[in-house]
Amino acid sequence: MAIKFGGEFEVGRQPEEVYDFLTDPNKFAPLLPEFRGVTVQDAEHFTVKVNVGVSYIKGVADVKLQLAEALRPQRAQYKGQGSVAGGNVSMVAGFDLAPAGNGTKVAWQGEAQVFGRLTSVAGGLLEPLGKKQLQKLIDGLQAALSKPMDTTPGAAS
Amino acid sequence: MSVDSKNWVGKPVPRKEEDRLLRGRGKFADDIKLREMLYLCFVRSPYAHAKVVSVDTAEAEKIPGVVCTLCGSEVVSATQPFIEIAPEPGGKIRDFPLAVSKVRYQGEPVAAVVAVDPRIAEDGAEAVQVEYEPLDPVIDAEQALTDASLLHEEAGTNRVWSGTFEYGDAEQAFADAEYVIEIDRLHFHRFSSTPLENNVVIGQWDPKDERIYYWCNNSFPSFAIQFLAAHLNVHIDRIRVQTADIGGSFGIKITSYPQMAVCALASKKSGGRPVKWVETRSEHMISSAHGNERTFRNTRVALDKNGVITAITSRHIDDCGAYPRYEPLGCVIWSQVVPGVYRFKNARIEFEQAVTNKCPVGPNRGYSRMQHLWFLERVVDICAHKLGIPADEMRLRNYIRREEFPYTTPNGCVYDSGDYPRMLELAKKLIGWEAWRLKQAEARKQGRMLGIGIGTTLDSGTNNFGQSQIVNPGAPFSGNSQGASCKLDIYGEVVVAVGSCPQGQGHETTAAQVVADVLGITPDLITVRTGFDTERNVHTGFSGTYASQFAVSGLSAVHGAAQKLKAEMKRLAAFVLETSEDDLEFGVGGQGPEVRSRSKGKSVNYWTLANIVNVNSAVLPTELHDVTLNCRYIWRAPFKVPDTKKKYGNLTMTYASQLHIAVVEIDVGTYVPRILDYVAVDDCGTVINPPIVEGQVYGATAHGIGAALLENCVYDSVGNMLTSTFSDYIPITAMNMPKVKYGHIETPSPHSYSGAKGMGEGGAAPVHTISAALQDALFDTGVFIQDSFNNADSLFRALKGEINRLDDLVKMERRVPPAA
Repeated sequence: MAIKFGGEFEVGRQPEEVYDFLTDPNKFAPLLPEFRGVTVQDAEHFTVKVNVGVSYIKGVADVKLQLAEALRPQRAQYKGQGSVAGGNVSMVAGFDLAPAGNGTKVAWQGEAQVFGRLTSVAGGLLEPLGKKQLQKLIDGLQAALSKPMDTTPGAAS
Repeated sequence: MSVDSKNWVGKPVPRKEEDRLLRGRGKFADDIKLREMLYLCFVRSPYAHAKVVSVDTAEAEKIPGVVCTLCGSEVVSATQPFIEIAPEPGGKIRDFPLAVSKVRYQGEPVAAVVAVDPRIAEDGAEAVQVEYEPLDPVIDAEQALTDASLLHEEAGTNRVWSGTFEYGDAEQAFADAEYVIEIDRLHFHRFSSTPLENNVVIGQWDPKDERIYYWCNNSFPSFAIQFLAAHLNVHIDRIRVQTADIGGSFGIKITSYPQMAVCALASKKSGGRPVKWVETRSEHMISSAHGNERTFRNTRVALDKNGVITAITSRHIDDCGAYPRYEPLGCVIWSQVVPGVYRFKNARIEFEQAVTNKCPVGPNRGYSRMQHLWFLERVVDICAHKLGIPADEMRLRNYIRREEFPYTTPNGCVYDSGDYPRMLELAKKLIGWEAWRLKQAEARKQGRMLGIGIGTTLDSGTNNFGQSQIVNPGAPFSGNSQGASCKLDIYGEVVVAVGSCPQGQGHETTAAQVVADVLGITPDLITVRTGFDTERNVHTGFSGTYASQFAVSGLSAVHGAAQKLKAEMKRLAAFVLETSEDDLEFGVGGQGPEVRSRSKGKSVNYWTLANIVNVNSAVLPTELHDVTLNCRYIWRAPFKVPDTKKKYGNLTMTYASQLHIAVVEIDVGTYVPRILDYVAVDDCGTVINPPIVEGQVYGATAHGIGAALLENCVYDSVGNMLTSTFSDYIPITAMNMPKVKYGHIETPSPHSYSGAKGMGEGGAAPVHTISAALQDALFDTGVFIQDSFNNADSLFRALKGEINRLDDLVKMERRVPPAA
C-alpha cells in the first residue's frame, strides 16, 4: 500500500545551510520520530534504528537510507528501505530548496510503500499514523532549523 | 430382530461420530504430541514479487532453543523440484517449498526455523534477516498475459496453460441465430475457505529406518505422497502418512505438501526428531490456498427466436496465483459442466491460465466448475433480460429435460439423472414465488431495490482422472478408485476401514449404514475406521476426501468389501450349520448378530464364526482355508481415457444438482444487500442419510452466501493481501446466515450402485443465486452485476454510475433469420 505525502515550509536560513543540515545524517536522523540510533556507513549511506509500532505490533526497525540525489543547494532526496516484524517499508523522500526572502522555502514530498502483514493487520491505521509521524519530522526539522546553527561537522542541533 | 435389506440406507441415522466430536474427544493432528518433538516457524516474504538477495540465519541460530534453520538453497541441494502436472511452458517451472532466488507472493516461505518451543521458533523467525530487491508485481491475470513482468523466467511466459475447447458448430449457430448478445467482461472473484482447523503437519525423517513419517490433516494424502516421494528422492513406500479427524478442508488442504516437505527436511537436519508445524490463521489466509479467480471476456451468445441458447463462445482467463501446483487440473475440470444444466450443443471456449503474484490457488469447494456455472447463470439472466423473458421461463426453455437423461453433453460427459424443471417448481413453491413477485412490484413503486434470483448449478462428483491427460497427454493418471476392507474381528465385531479423510461428512455413519444393510444388522454394531494410513488402511492412488465422491467411490468400496465378507460368512455358516448357503439369512438374534438356517431353526453368531477362523482354526476343513473374514475390495470407476485431441469423454460419474432462489433487497440508504428469503432445493439421487445431506446443503449454502457477499481476497496494487484477518475477510457465521428453506427431490443415479450422487461441494449455488437476485434488483437502474462478489461498497459505486453500466458492457443484435 502506498502512502503519499508532501508539503512545504519556510525557515530563516540560507539554502546552503538547510541543505547541509538535511544531508548530514547525524543532524537529520535524530529528528526521525522514535529515533534510537544511527550508524553512518559513508557520506551517502546510513542506517537508522527507530521504534515502530501499530497497536500491538511493536518492534525496532532498521531503516537503511541512501542519499540518492544531492544537488547542493537545490535538492536532496533519500531512498530507504526498512523492515520490522509484520512488514517492510520502501520510501522515497525529497526536499527541494529555493530562496525565499531572507530564508529558504523547503518543499518536501515522497512516497512510502508498505509491504507485508502489517498492511492487512493495520492497513487502515497506517496512513494516518504515517502522516502523524511525518508531521513530527517536519515539525522537528522546522524547530531545528530555527535554532542557531552549530557549524561543527556532524554535530546534532 | 430381523432386519430387512436396504433398511438403513435412507434413514436419518444419528451420526456415529457426533458424540465424539461434539464432546471434544476428536483426535486432530495438533493433538498429537511426540517425544522430543520440535516446532517449526516459517519466515515469510512481505513482498509479492522480489529477488531474494540474501538470507542470514546467524542471529536466529544463536537464540537458545533454536535447533536449526533451513533456507531455499539447502532445499535445492537436497531435493528435486516438485512435479509439474502441466506440459511446457508451465511444466518448466521449478517449484520448491522454500523460495530460492525469488519470492512470488506475499507470505511465501523463505526460510524455516526449528526450535524446542513454538514461541522460540517464532522469535527465531523474526531474527532471520532477508534482503530483498523488489520487482514489478503482477496482480491481474490479464496484465500477467502481457508478460511485461515474468514470475517464472524458466517458463518464459506467465501463460502457463492454454487450450481451446470447441464442440459442435458455433459459427453455423451464430449464422442461424435470431439474436446475438455480447458481454464484454464478467469476473469471478478470489475467495477461500476458512476451516476451523488450519493446516497441521508433523514430519519425522527417522534415521533408524530411513523412513519418513507424517501425521497431518492433508485431505488428499495419496496425491501428496506422489509429489513428496519424487521431491524428497525417496521410494514412495518409505513414506507413511496418517490422518485422523480433520476440522474442515473444503479442498484447500490438498495442497499442503510443500509444508510437509519442509517438515521432513527440517526433521532430517534436526537428527530425526519429529517436527510439528501448526499454521496460524493469518498464515492460512495469505498462503495456504485460495480458490481460482476467473475472468470471462468477449462472450457471444447465439439464441433462436424463442430465447433458446444455441451457442456460446468466450475467452476464459484463469488466475492460479504464483505456482500452478495442483492447478493445471482446473483448466479442464470446469469442462465437466460445459453446458451447465442447459441444452446448447455448440460452444467454443478459449481457456488460458496465468500465474500472478498472489497466493497459489487450490481446489476450493466447487472447484473450477463453480466459476463456469456462475458464468452460465449470468449469461442466462442477461439474455433473459435483453429478450424480455422472465428468468424462470428462460430457464425452462433452456434446461435439459428429464426425459433426456442420461444426457450426453457436447464434450462427451454423461449426466446421469436430474429433473431441473421439477426442482424449479418446488423451489418456487417453497419461497412463494408469485407472492414475492407482487411484493417486488410494490417495493419498486416505493423506490426500493428488491430482486429475486434463481441459481441452478451442478455438483459433478467422482472424477475421471483421465481428464488430466487433456491438460497434459503425458500425465499418468486416469479413472478413479477407492479401497475398503470389512472384517470380523476375533470376537466377531464388524470392523470397516476406508482410506478416506472425512472432515465432517459423516463417513463413519454412512459406511455403517451400507454395511448394516448388507449384513442385516444395525449400524451401531459396526465400527468404522476412517482416516488415511499408507501402512494400516486400505487405499489407492486416489484415496482422500475431495470432489464430491465418497457416496459413490467410498461407499461402493465399502459395499463391495461387505459383500465379500458376507459371501465368506455364508460359506462358513453353511459348514457350521450343515446346510446350504441358500438356506441362510442374516440378522440379529439373542446372542447378537448371527447367521440363521431357515430350515433347521439353528443359528451361529458372529463370535463363533470369527473364533473358528482366528483361534480355533484346526476345525476348518481344507476347502474353507481361503476364508479369512478379512475382505478387501477395490472399487474402480468404469471410465475410459478421454480423447485428448478432441477434449472429449466422460469426465465424471454423477451430477447432483442444486436449485436455489433468493430474495435480496439493497438498502437505498446504505446499499447493504440483505437476504429476505432463501430456498435451497437439492437433488443428490438416492439420499443415504437425510440429516447429513441436509447439513451439507446448509454448509454449502452458508459457504456460498459468504462468498457472494462477505468473503473476498483483496490485494492492493503491489500485492499486499488486504483481507488476511477475520476483520476484513469476514467468514459467514450463524449471525449473518439467513433462515434457509430446504427441499429435495430424488432422481436416482444409474451410475452408482445405490443411486446416490456425491453432493458435498454444492456447486456454489448461492453465488449464482445472489448475483442473479442483485441483478434483478438493479436491471432498472442500468447497473450490470459484473462480479461474483458484491457488497455495499461495490453496489454504491455501481449505483453512483462509476462502474458496471449495463449498456456499456452488454450489446444485443437482432438478426433477420435466413430465408427458409
